[in-house]
Amino acid sequence: MNSAWWVVFRKELLETLRDKRTLFVMVAVPVFLYPVLLIGTEQLFLFGARNLDAEPSPVAVIGDAPAALLDLVEASEALTLTAVAGDAVAAMRADQVMAVAVVGPDVDADDTRDVTLLFDAASDRSQRAHTQLRRVVEAWRDTILDRRLRDRGLPATFSSPVAVADSSIARPADMGGYTLGRVLPLLLVMMTVLGAFYPAIDLAAGEKERGTLETLMTAPVPPGAIVVGKFVTVALIGVTAAGLNLASMLLTFQTGALQVTEAIGLEVSVPLISVAVIFLTLVPLAVLFGAIFLAIAVRSGSFKEAQNALTPVYMLALFPAMLPVFPGIDFGPVLALTPVAGVSFLFRDLMSGNAGWLLGALVLVSTTFYAGAGLIFAARAFGNERVLFGGDDTSEVTADPWARKLWSRARPGRVPTPSAALGFVALIAVLFFFGGIRMQIAWGESGLLAAEWLLLLVPAVLFVALGRFDPGLTLSLRAPKAPHLLGATLLIAGALPVVWLVGWLQSFVLPIPWDLLEGLEELMTAQSVDRFLWLVLILALTPALCEEIVFRGVLLGGTRTLEPWRMIALNGLVFGAFHLSFQTVIRFLPTAMLGALIAWAVWRTGSLWVGTLMHFLNNATIVVLTSLPVVRETFSDPEAPPPLWLVPIGALALGVGLLVIVRSTSSGAERAAEGVPGS
Amino acid sequence: MISFSALSKCYGPLTAVRELTLQVEPGEVYALLGPNGAGKTTALRCLATLLRPSSGSAAVCGADVSVDPLRARRRIAFLSSSMGLYERLSARELVAYFGRLHGLAGAALTKRVDEVVELFAIGDFSGRLCGKLSTGQRQRVSLARALVHDPPVLILDEPTLGLDVLSGRTIHDFIVRERGRGKTILLSTHQMDEVDLLADRVGILRKGELVAEGSPTELVQSLGAPNLTKAFLALMSEWALVPEEGSA
Repeated sequence: MNSAWWVVFRKELLETLRDKRTLFVMVAVPVFLYPVLLIGTEQLFLFGARNLDAEPSPVAVIGDAPAALLDLVEASEALTLTAVAGDAVAAMRADQVMAVAVVGPDVDADDTRDVTLLFDAASDRSQRAHTQLRRVVEAWRDTILDRRLRDRGLPATFSSPVAVADSSIARPADMGGYTLGRVLPLLLVMMTVLGAFYPAIDLAAGEKERGTLETLMTAPVPPGAIVVGKFVTVALIGVTAAGLNLASMLLTFQTGALQVTEAIGLEVSVPLISVAVIFLTLVPLAVLFGAIFLAIAVRSGSFKEAQNALTPVYMLALFPAMLPVFPGIDFGPVLALTPVAGVSFLFRDLMSGNAGWLLGALVLVSTTFYAGAGLIFAARAFGNERVLFGGDDTSEVTADPWARKLWSRARPGRVPTPSAALGFVALIAVLFFFGGIRMQIAWGESGLLAAEWLLLLVPAVLFVALGRFDPGLTLSLRAPKAPHLLGATLLIAGALPVVWLVGWLQSFVLPIPWDLLEGLEELMTAQSVDRFLWLVLILALTPALCEEIVFRGVLLGGTRTLEPWRMIALNGLVFGAFHLSFQTVIRFLPTAMLGALIAWAVWRTGSLWVGTLMHFLNNATIVVLTSLPVVRETFSDPEAPPPLWLVPIGALALGVGLLVIVRSTSSGAERAAEGVPGS
Repeated sequence: MISFSALSKCYGPLTAVRELTLQVEPGEVYALLGPNGAGKTTALRCLATLLRPSSGSAAVCGADVSVDPLRARRRIAFLSSSMGLYERLSARELVAYFGRLHGLAGAALTKRVDEVVELFAIGDFSGRLCGKLSTGQRQRVSLARALVHDPPVLILDEPTLGLDVLSGRTIHDFIVRERGRGKTILLSTHQMDEVDLLADRVGILRKGELVAEGSPTELVQSLGAPNLTKAFLALMSEWALVPEEGSA
């Protein structure tokens, strides 16, 4: 066998196995460090617990303390009765006592006496003292109860008519699988992904940094063969690391080296067939991350740069892997199709012995599919000279010192680079998130108005002015023509019902925050004309101006060097993400779609005013629909589907709008000749 | 042989090479001269199929670099000072790896590797990892790597950059020897003595354009300069006096 990918693979494997760092992560960590670390942690834990139990905790009883209670405290081996002079809380803070029982005044025969137990929930010792003290106080309570029952000639069972006992049917092995199934999937995913981490960087960015990629590319080998060879190496290292980790973890647990598992009655034995299936699932996972890491690493110029680029991806991958740790999440088809999460849940079910074939197959097939997509992504990077050798150097555009930019005039034709524009929007988003929310809390609705103008519009204008960017070109400040405005109106009229339908459809998948919606409805109801106009000002006119200048102005202006579809998709995604919050995940898709549509219209017409009009019409329509109770009743029962007859009409309007704008704008080359921004 | 035909390479608004047309015949050494950023490396990389020309074309022994890059690569040895070696492979392993990538296998591969190891006097350190070699030793391994498939065309991008006199001499000897074997050789350099010593013809690049071409003697004569260095400087200063217009 001497095909090119095989030659590349053999060489990469040989070189990788000579790399001490990779060998360490792949072999040394699981084989030695793991059991040592695990057993060490357990020993430390046991040592700490013994230490806590060794000495009695000082506690105090204050108030109207009866002798019977004091005797019980003194009799307890875990507690030492200590006298406290003055403030009990102060004595606790000074660590003189770990818990204090404050006993209320004596009561009449059948009344209830109050006892308050003071403890520090942030201290292990205090918590332990609290538990012990509580036991003693409860024992004292029981003696009083016994006496009361005796005095009335009632049996002891009188006060407990029903006895409830818990009894788990889980066998020790089930418990072992259950407990292991929560922790081990995360560890396995983590180690598999980590196993692919360094080889991917070394084989892609490292090779670029050392200048060997150029050497390799002069050999008559198609880029695809190079990617496959490298990628098989990375995936193989990932799978091997995963296999060694799995074996090492299971051996550590199953040999009974852990006293804790024995002590609490866990028995760890995962059936061999489950271990085999787990290993089988790790293969596409390693493949997926091998491909993703390679594709990203090859886009970086150096080892360090690649490490910086891959670390967030690694962290992001760990989040879905963590899901099985949280209780109450059921493994279903949606999770099975979610990258990484599916694998992690399948491991959990395999370990606790109740995995289903269908979900397992879904996980395997979907992960294999994602791995294939990742591989195509990587192959494209290796076929791209800009990725391999750089060369697209537009950084000089922003290389001037800021001080000089301040004092000179805008340069015609100068626009921000994509990274400068994206950086600016990221900064604005952070500013708006922290500053804007504070302003809204402080000044209410006026705060919202102020935040839009001061934190969006003003920074955007400053950015263009200080960066000496050509304002007309960067912000697409071209006067619109009548057909543009007509097209824009049709587009937004058509998009409204379509987006509404999308929003309604996604309500089947994503939860709707009803509380929030009801709050908004209240806020938006207009009882007077003045109130209605105010709502239009803060919710429609202001965003149409302030958000457009940021997103369809600076962002669109700065990303024009990208391919049009990328530029428009990016604009929609960033716009959707800007409107995202914890409660409003449901807004993302509709907002992103509208953002992309507006971005297209502004790019095509070269006029920001077209975007402003569309944004205003969209928001104003929503204000009208929700602020007038009569209209709201008819249209916006949030649980009902949108009026379906509107959808085809909307689609038609959308189509006509697109046509009007396409017809009224010339082709790319002609627009470039006319000096249209964005051509 | 090598032929460039109106080849241009642009990076966004910047044109690195503009309508370059030249030919190098078998048994000829052609030196590309020019200041930093003149487009020498870009032109050589286009020929080595590492970069795709924006317009125009280039061919190696009839194989068009854009149409059939793999066929072109089989006919060239590309060597550049920026090219690295695999640090964790031994010198012999590295040469054999490139031999395999060029389709050699079995006894033929072993024979050829032995040949180049001997040719470039690598024998003493052929088992040592490349990461542990000296600069001069690395350069010899690079040559062996580039030549393992014995191609008819050599493209050398500043091959003696950063080398001491002795190692530089090894490269010069190699170039003379390969010319004698009928190889087509295109090299870029900053060193005038190298050009004097080796080049049959010289092309001078300025801002991506070929502004002068001929044998070293012809160039010196046509510019009325006492030597090639002066001739080169004269060409460059002439350019420095020319106003910016039209040269961007």
